[in-house]
Amino acid sequence: MREFIKGLWREHPVFRQLLGMCPTLAVTTSALNGISMGLSVVFVLFFSSLVVSLIKNLVPTQVRIAVYTVIIATFVTIVDIFLQAVFPDISMALGPFIPLIIVNCIILGRCEAFVSKHSLSASLKDALGMGIGFTWGLFLLGSIRELFGEGTILGFKILSSNYNPLIVMILPAGAFIVLGFLVAIMNSLEK
Amino acid sequence: MINLILIFISTLLINNLVLSSFLGICPFLGVSGKIESAFGMGMAVTFVMTLATSISWLIYHLILVKFGLFYLEYVMFILVIASLVQMVEMFIRKFSSNLYQSLGIFLPLITTNCAILGVALFMVARNYNFLESVVFGFSGGLGFSLVLLIMAGIREELVYADIPKVFQGAALTLITAGLLALVFMGFSGLISA
Amino acid sequence: MKEVVKITGILTSTCIICAFLLSFVSGIAIEKIEMNKQKRVEDAITNLAPYAKKIEEVKLNNEIIYNLFNNKNKIVGYAFVAEGQGYQGKIKILSVIDVSLKKLEGIEIVESVETPGLGAKIKGALFKNKFKNLNISKTIECLKDDPTKDNQIKSITGATVSSRAVTNILNKKIDIIVNLVNKK
Repeated sequence: MREFIKGLWREHPVFRQLLGMCPTLAVTTSALNGISMGLSVVFVLFFSSLVVSLIKNLVPTQVRIAVYTVIIATFVTIVDIFLQAVFPDISMALGPFIPLIIVNCIILGRCEAFVSKHSLSASLKDALGMGIGFTWGLFLLGSIRELFGEGTILGFKILSSNYNPLIVMILPAGAFIVLGFLVAIMNSLEK
Repeated sequence: MINLILIFISTLLINNLVLSSFLGICPFLGVSGKIESAFGMGMAVTFVMTLATSISWLIYHLILVKFGLFYLEYVMFILVIASLVQMVEMFIRKFSSNLYQSLGIFLPLITTNCAILGVALFMVARNYNFLESVVFGFSGGLGFSLVLLIMAGIREELVYADIPKVFQGAALTLITAGLLALVFMGFSGLISA
Repeated sequence: MKEVVKITGILTSTCIICAFLLSFVSGIAIEKIEMNKQKRVEDAITNLAPYAKKIEEVKLNNEIIYNLFNNKNKIVGYAFVAEGQGYQGKIKILSVIDVSLKKLEGIEIVESVETPGLGAKIKGALFKNKFKNLNISKTIECLKDDPTKDNQIKSITGATVSSRAVTNILNKKIDIIVNLVNKK
């Protein structure tokens, strides 16, 4: 249980370890995009951990990274094809950031740092915890940016139509600044 | 020719990989503490990015398009990048120990630098021809180095500033990056279609 | 030597297994993906031209044109997809023109990756509606000020490049389509 819980708060991948920054910042222009990206990462992280855990003793160290990335790339392609077939709108919104899950440091990082040293069941719990932690982090960031940038959350109007949206929140600069403040808030909560 | 110059300027300043497409954020936050290491990382990325984009272009257009194997795109690109990084590392170690001393430690980190894969994917999405792709890869790397150096310069100064404890470290770096992104938005009027 | 064989073997077999898995998955999904694309286009057409009761896809000189028929089986308009480079990436626009080939009935952005908050506004109704009933016997012009003629539109503030990209893509394609239909 401990392996699962730690990814949700204490070792939170986004706010504590600052892993997987590219998708965190890039796709969180809306809450929905944040959740979709988060869930895609959960899927890839879970299955990559599963496969890597099963074959880790067969793979020589020299080609370890190459083999792992190929496995991750395969699962990412599956997610990409799945979204294109079943949720074409989400696939279009996330665009080139789906393939970039391949180089999301959370996945390779967990495979390298955790899976290679732990048992299968611990690795899977760790993967789920990290993935869900990542998802709520993205959802929070996406909601804040969507709320101030467009006055909505998940497309529902929250702020009155008199509210003049702060477009900067949806622009790249807003992503950096909001995340910076969130990290600071998490730091102060921790104390 | 004018087209190539436009790609160069727009990738370097207007659509900077780090500040507007969020590519390569991990090394951007990690290696931007000192100007010296930022320079090394920047050069290593520029070099690998230019090579990787050219080779990925050739493989994509000569093999994948020809045989309709589009679903292998991601696997292929990441393999090209991973093996290229490995080869460059071996090559540098063999021929120049000086260069290896200064660039070597950054090379393994480059495989997971999303900027390299990102540039390869953007090149396909934007339908660039070979020459455009090479210029795109090169200017992408230079743009990355530029922002990395600016950031390192700012952070070297920030060490002496009196900062509230909760903002120290990553939080302040992110907010600084946000302000830098705002500054770079000023370049967006530079080219009007 | 044995080590090298082992390493190469493992890397190659991983790649082969992955490639097989992917070809299998994409084989299942490809039909659905094509259907989605087709549906997107058809939905957009019925949205822009609700009076079109039948849509027929024809190919003229490698250009796909959709002939739109009313309930008396008479051609009432044409639809086509135009594609080109925007600020961040590809923009794909579906447009419907009336049977006289002089008036744009409207446009729909089927695909785009423009900057959220700025260029992405080309997908918004406010911008798309400006193209309704635009005169296309002359080239469409994209202005920074309010339009004074029936072939002009005002660009989105802060997203001039995306707005111009849309008009440029349209102008190019409309020219080709009008010529083709006239010849026929």
